[in-house]
Amino acid sequence: MLKISNLHAGYGKIEVLHGINLEVPKGRVVTLIGSNGAGKTTTMRAISGMIAPSTGSITLGTHEIAGRESYDIAKLGLAHSPEGRRVFATMTVNDNLLLGAFPRFTGSRPKGDINADLEKAMEYFPRLKERRLQLAGTLSGGEQQMLAMARAMMMNPEVVLLDEPSMGLAPILVEEVFRIIARWRKEGVTMLLVEQFAAAALNVADYGYVLENGRIAVHGPADKLKNDPAVKAAYLGGH
Amino acid sequence: MKRSQLFFAAIGILLLAVFPVVSGNPYYIHLVETIMIFAILLFGLDIVVGYTGQVSLGHAGLFGIGAYTAGVLVLKLAAPLWVVLPASIAVTAVFGALLALPALRVTGPYLAMVTLAFGTIIQILINEMTFLTEGPLGIKVDKPSIFGHKLDEHEFYWLVCVLLIVSLIFVHRVLRSQLGRAFEALRGSPVASDCMGVSVYRYKVYAFVISAGLAGLAGSLYAFSEQYISPNTYNFEMTVFFLLAIIMGGRKTRTGAILGAAIIVMLPKLLDDIALFRIVSVIFAALIVAGSVYLIARGKSTVQKVAIPVASGVGLAGISFVLTTMADWRLSIFGLITLFVVYFLQDGIVGFVRNALNLHGHARTDAEATRSIASDEKALQHPHGGKSDDILIASNVLMQFGGLKAINNVDLRVKRGTIHGLIGPNGSGKSTMMNVLTGIYVPTAGTIAFEDRSVVGRTSSDIALSGIARTFQNVQLFGEMTALQNVLVGLHHTFDSNLLDVAFQSGKYIKERNSSTARGHALLRLVGLSDLAGEEARNLPYGKQRLLEIARALALNPQLLLLDEPAAGLTAPDIKELVTIIQKIRGEGITVILIEHHMDVVMSVCDQVTVLDFGQKIAEGVPSVVKSDPKVIEAYLGGEVEPAAAA
Repeated sequence: MLKISNLHAGYGKIEVLHGINLEVPKGRVVTLIGSNGAGKTTTMRAISGMIAPSTGSITLGTHEIAGRESYDIAKLGLAHSPEGRRVFATMTVNDNLLLGAFPRFTGSRPKGDINADLEKAMEYFPRLKERRLQLAGTLSGGEQQMLAMARAMMMNPEVVLLDEPSMGLAPILVEEVFRIIARWRKEGVTMLLVEQFAAAALNVADYGYVLENGRIAVHGPADKLKNDPAVKAAYLGGH
Repeated sequence: MKRSQLFFAAIGILLLAVFPVVSGNPYYIHLVETIMIFAILLFGLDIVVGYTGQVSLGHAGLFGIGAYTAGVLVLKLAAPLWVVLPASIAVTAVFGALLALPALRVTGPYLAMVTLAFGTIIQILINEMTFLTEGPLGIKVDKPSIFGHKLDEHEFYWLVCVLLIVSLIFVHRVLRSQLGRAFEALRGSPVASDCMGVSVYRYKVYAFVISAGLAGLAGSLYAFSEQYISPNTYNFEMTVFFLLAIIMGGRKTRTGAILGAAIIVMLPKLLDDIALFRIVSVIFAALIVAGSVYLIARGKSTVQKVAIPVASGVGLAGISFVLTTMADWRLSIFGLITLFVVYFLQDGIVGFVRNALNLHGHARTDAEATRSIASDEKALQHPHGGKSDDILIASNVLMQFGGLKAINNVDLRVKRGTIHGLIGPNGSGKSTMMNVLTGIYVPTAGTIAFEDRSVVGRTSSDIALSGIARTFQNVQLFGEMTALQNVLVGLHHTFDSNLLDVAFQSGKYIKERNSSTARGHALLRLVGLSDLAGEEARNLPYGKQRLLEIARALALNPQLLLLDEPAAGLTAPDIKELVTIIQKIRGEGITVILIEHHMDVVMSVCDQVTVLDFGQKIAEGVPSVVKSDPKVIEAYLGGEVEPAAAA
């Protein structure tokens, strides 16, 4: 579904990614793990068009999306739940979710039943249902994270990018977030997941890539990576 | 590098000095003189606009005050030059402080409106106060005398030259000192500035005063240069030109200010002369085409991206040959050129050239150059605390927002020298507690005593200076400043030198500067950011930004350090390093309050843990006991203690 080959990208003069190859097959969950500054978020940003890659190709389905504008990429069905949530703070939870479905209103994505999906999102995240008419900025960090995830889902996307969904969440909510990812996976949602809880990420993923200094160091089925001694030592915190 | 810079500076000064003799044309001499005068004002305006990030549309008004102070003193008292210049600076500086008052309350477009009103009022006052200013008639000002000798055109030009260089050195020194860093920090994050003991209130006023002083100096020189002043010179248009000069030249550079001054003086003149305009527009178009071809050839740009600049550059050159007279088109063309520069060169001309040639500002090179001096500096300093067992006692703290009780009658006792964990679900009031402790919020009720002294009602910067430092859940770094500069803002309190010390680079200032730089590097080394000292904070990866915040907080020499989710966004190995750093901090005797969701961190380092839920304390005690408390498990921990452990 999503395929990246030989991707180079960075900020200004500094190149962060030195030729990345990565593939997210349809209906699969792929996780990207690595230490701070390895380039995980940069990869996410390059995919969703927030930064333009210097070279390399990114294809979504049959479309080449490298270097295109974010809103164009979104129209092709790529949803991004960004690091740090980025909800529309002065709008209600309901409106945040409806904005997530924006390309469906404008006809650039198949419309389907938006209201039904809205209800489905609320059923997934009961906390959001309780706070439906509350302004997103007044939600707690955990609730905002859920809103960001639900908003991404509202697009009815082909691929969802989840950047650090568990960051800054209470342990009980971290569990909840991973439960939801697992549930989405069962429903066949295609996801690319960046996570600091590498072990938990490998638990819900089918396949994993380990990013080191802007290059893919190891990749393989999640089960295998989990038991790889080198990966264990470097990223799983010795558990 | 330094020697070559000095060499070019000397050449530049020499060229400037011999210009009147070589040219001999009084018109051109006057033009260059005006550019220099405007440049002095722009140095000052850039402090406010470029560094502190405030908008000021009141600088034409300040310029007018400077000019009229000079005019009135000469007219009424026949005051000599050595009285007039300092008086203009002082009077205008006072008005600058006045202009700063609204900036303390409003920002952005609101501040623009208020400063605009200020400028307009000044212009009207000058017009109406006929008894002092001669009103619309204006004032004739002769060229000044020094020691009984009346300066001629050339001599006055050289005087302006000297004052330009003095102002340049002054501004340059101020902006590289702790004052300049304080100004820049205001722009980056006002909240963090206050929490680093850099009072936003004080330094905003300071910036406006220095800026106004320079405007006053420029204004008085302008009066002598023009030899006639009248109220309608200092109008809205002039203020917009000043702002435009900063934007076009490039903010936060002195070269940009000089270039901007040259543009706003020369461009209108240039547009008067069709023949000259044709030549310049062809050169301009050629430069754009050449630059675009270069960028495309190097693969740094695409044909689509350069199409508009090239088309407009060539188009402008084409138009210049079609037109037979400039008079009717002057303003339109001037507007178009302005639009072009502002749209395509958002960092100004100097910023664009710097980017294209990959040059770094002095902040980065300074950081690289000074790294070695940190070798045996001690990063952490043992706090000289009081005697009492509890460093912090909060009782019955209530924080109410409307109907919501974010903190509901919470007691918190933190023992000296311990690490006190503060945990609880998202939205349970932990961060609110931090904000109450650091003076960002004033609690609705309750008492908080730090070192037996109440913190309630004191300003954030005052609390910070008394020994409470913090980091922020949503990182609050000074983004455009380097990692080293960020830490140096935290070390602001170690500076005792004043504006004069900075201006004359007194021994005291040099000593303070060197020791703080060494300490800054040592702190960066403590958190493992040594190699990134010269990197702008906004370019650091998230996890490193969090570490930088810790280094910056430690720079305050705190007795109590509040860490708000330091491990968020860190991977397992990074977290191990963080734990080591936190233990080192405690080892030095610094008390820590730690908000964290990573239970392994909380369990391994905390001596005591307090659990909040819905603004209330639901449990407290040693970690092992709290961990198995059923209420805590239900509200916070859930079934598994640590999802990573499930692997």
